[in-house]
Amino acid sequence: MAQGIRDKAVILGMGCTRFGERWDMNSDMLMAEAFEEALADAGIARDQIGAAWLGSALDDVNVGNSAIPLATALRLPPMPVTRVENMCATGTEALRAATYAVASGAVDIALALGVEKLKDTGFGGLPIRTKGSVNDLWMPYGSAPGTFAQLAGAYAARHGIDAADLKRAMAHVSWKSHQNGVHAEKAHLRKAVTMETILNAPMVADPLGLYDCCGVSDGAAAAIICTPEIARSLSKDALVSVKSVQVCASNGWEMQYGEWDGSYVRNTRIAAGRAYDEAGITPADLGLTEVHDCFSITELVTMEDLGLSQDGRAVFDVLDGAFDATGRLPSQVDGGLKCFGHPVGASGLRMAYEVYTQLKGRAGARQLANIDFGLTHNLGGQPSNSVAAVSVLGRLE
Amino acid sequence: MANRSIQSTGAYLPLLRFERKAARAELAWSGLGGNGKGRRAVAGWDEDALTQAVEAAREALAQAQGAIARVVFASTSSAFSDRSQAVIMADALNIARDAETADLANCRRSAVSALLRALRGAPGTELIAAGERRLSQPGSAAHLSWGDGAAAAVVGDGPGLARLLGAGRVNLDLLDSYTSVARGLPYAAEERFSRDSMVSEALIPAAQAALAEAGLRGEDVALAVVPEAVSGLYAAAARKLGMTAPNVIDRLAPEAGELGTAAPLFGLALALEQAEPGQIVLLAGCGNGCDVLVLEVTAKIRNRPAHQALDEGVPLTSYSRLLSLTGGIELDWGPRAEVNQKVSASVLARHGREMHGFVGGRDQGGNVQFPKTPMPVNPALAEPGVYEDVILRDEPARVVSITADRLNFTPDPPFYFGLVQFENGARVVMEHCDVEGQAQQVGAPLRMRFRIKAIDRQRQFRSYFWKAAPLARPQLAAKE
Repeated sequence: MAQGIRDKAVILGMGCTRFGERWDMNSDMLMAEAFEEALADAGIARDQIGAAWLGSALDDVNVGNSAIPLATALRLPPMPVTRVENMCATGTEALRAATYAVASGAVDIALALGVEKLKDTGFGGLPIRTKGSVNDLWMPYGSAPGTFAQLAGAYAARHGIDAADLKRAMAHVSWKSHQNGVHAEKAHLRKAVTMETILNAPMVADPLGLYDCCGVSDGAAAAIICTPEIARSLSKDALVSVKSVQVCASNGWEMQYGEWDGSYVRNTRIAAGRAYDEAGITPADLGLTEVHDCFSITELVTMEDLGLSQDGRAVFDVLDGAFDATGRLPSQVDGGLKCFGHPVGASGLRMAYEVYTQLKGRAGARQLANIDFGLTHNLGGQPSNSVAAVSVLGRLE
Repeated sequence: MANRSIQSTGAYLPLLRFERKAARAELAWSGLGGNGKGRRAVAGWDEDALTQAVEAAREALAQAQGAIARVVFASTSSAFSDRSQAVIMADALNIARDAETADLANCRRSAVSALLRALRGAPGTELIAAGERRLSQPGSAAHLSWGDGAAAAVVGDGPGLARLLGAGRVNLDLLDSYTSVARGLPYAAEERFSRDSMVSEALIPAAQAALAEAGLRGEDVALAVVPEAVSGLYAAAARKLGMTAPNVIDRLAPEAGELGTAAPLFGLALALEQAEPGQIVLLAGCGNGCDVLVLEVTAKIRNRPAHQALDEGVPLTSYSRLLSLTGGIELDWGPRAEVNQKVSASVLARHGREMHGFVGGRDQGGNVQFPKTPMPVNPALAEPGVYEDVILRDEPARVVSITADRLNFTPDPPFYFGLVQFENGARVVMEHCDVEGQAQQVGAPLRMRFRIKAIDRQRQFRSYFWKAAPLARPQLAAKE
């Protein structure tokens, strides 16, 4: 049985740019901004870093292939630098790689940095990409909202949920995040939105309206990871530990084999179970979650997949305010993807940044009380063919 | 000749039927809106002469016996001038790779000529399928009177639905309408000239020859199939021929439009669906002359796919959407439409037949999957896959999940897609088509349609695959 990584690595420092339509910045500038904040927070010099991982998902439209853009943008001293890409789980993959390197003892201090510069594409939404020369012969080119919208119908069919109830619960998910985003200085969208506006928005992909969808933005986030011993030697206190990072990828079972009913995400369930085990906690121990709210239905279904709502009950828990900032388990207390937008490679680390900020007690107006553990969740691809990433951060025991 | 017969027929119309009165209203200012009567069938953005012909051929093959030895595709609007559509059709219908194939083009009567050749030809079962998606200029009579559609016939040995009693032919370079490669759109002569010339110089002499060979007279004919590139063609000829039989095209043209190469075979299907054994059918194909066949009906058909095709559909009342679907306007779909859809020739050579044929595989555990993969998706298997071919096109299927995507580019929004579950176990993520007019729910039954997968606008190439459509189409309201 593998030992896992619990408490073998801590976060020495983190940085995060303001997310949004950063017409003023290219990807190098975004990387530098996130990194400089993380470096200052860590209180180290860049030549103390032993290895670095760059997460960027859409190489063809912004950052470019390989890890060289990171090494160049930060003028890192000669060291191993690696690019990772796993769709929307990319940022968390960078965190996982840096954490594994430190936990294994191979590296004392490691950098994970995620970045995406999407707004130079010239249009809204994610770029349209080939699915591969063979798949393109038969596989439909669905948009991201189109692929996630399918969860809604399948979920409603499985649990006998009325379409209007589901639509209202989805709207509450977005309403809540916009409420929270008002207090997030680095968020893209910082205005509260009424339920009426959300419910009456133009349809993007049935039943997802405009406000059921997160936007696309530019941004970068970074984490500097080290051993607990090094952190203590730097006189750091209230250390935030990486308790677990788990990833699970589809092997085609959902999309090609006739068992899955389309109403949940198996990879999230598997990754979450393993993450709780690795962290040695249960869902009841969590004080906040930052989940992959690319679309309102995703967040709603994820509440069940993470074991935070019983199957078929998320609609009612959401409508009861269970995941509001004042609810039993605040979710997206910074506004989530809904308010930050989704620079794909950066989002996982942006979520970790919020959990880290909360655990450090630095969240200002949105600070939550009495939290020991926070969870981040990413879902890449589409529900029928996905990569799920779940991490748990908490106070070092 | 005596032992050859028409074994079956098939017909297909696209879902949408444009209400001509909408054009009359929209074009009132110009005086170019036509008479505003009836409807014309309008191909979806993802339909062309080939895809429609494949659908008609499926109907015909479903009622025919025996392996297909020859495949003929006929059209004046084939999307390719140098890429055999008959070969793709053979692949789509999983016809043996050594079957004889032929593509007929450039003449509206070529399907009737092919039918005659097949009825007088060598033994073996032959599929003849004709499809049209002809472009024409908005404002022209053709833009409103023509329609998109397809029809097919299977000819084989031994008794069938109908046998040939006689035939006649006249070749005539009559420019009632022509379409040049360079212009790409039809140019029509004055209708009165076209009608008079076609009737007197081609249709009547060809019909007289056919009736003479059959040993029959005009009044012996029970049903006529005389497509009318210009109106009044049949009425003028019938008077001279002593024919009183109704022309089945009188229903097709107002409800679907003039179908070009496909019209005679569509009319033949309509005729055979309503004929009684022993009745005589006169079938004419006109275009730069006439081929006329006199047929004796030898069996009663139970299925009525041609009538069903006319009865079912969804009215289209937007003139601008008609223009968009028929190439009359080019809307700016924005940067999302700029996606590169280039198809690799080597990929197509490697995988094209299984894509066009919708061939999945049954693994050694009995699970069916599409496409085949080196390792089966079946969780019970841990060894590299060995598959038995399974064709999915006629397999019952249902919706697992679906959405109407309004962000993704499609030339005719929204873009429907989702997971499809086949009864034999296969599961495929598919684009949907023909959803309009129906609410698609989880569990809804589906049928497969052969369609254009993608159009590479930069290189003017198109790829083909299957899409999921609602099992049944809505009934059209009775014609006005």
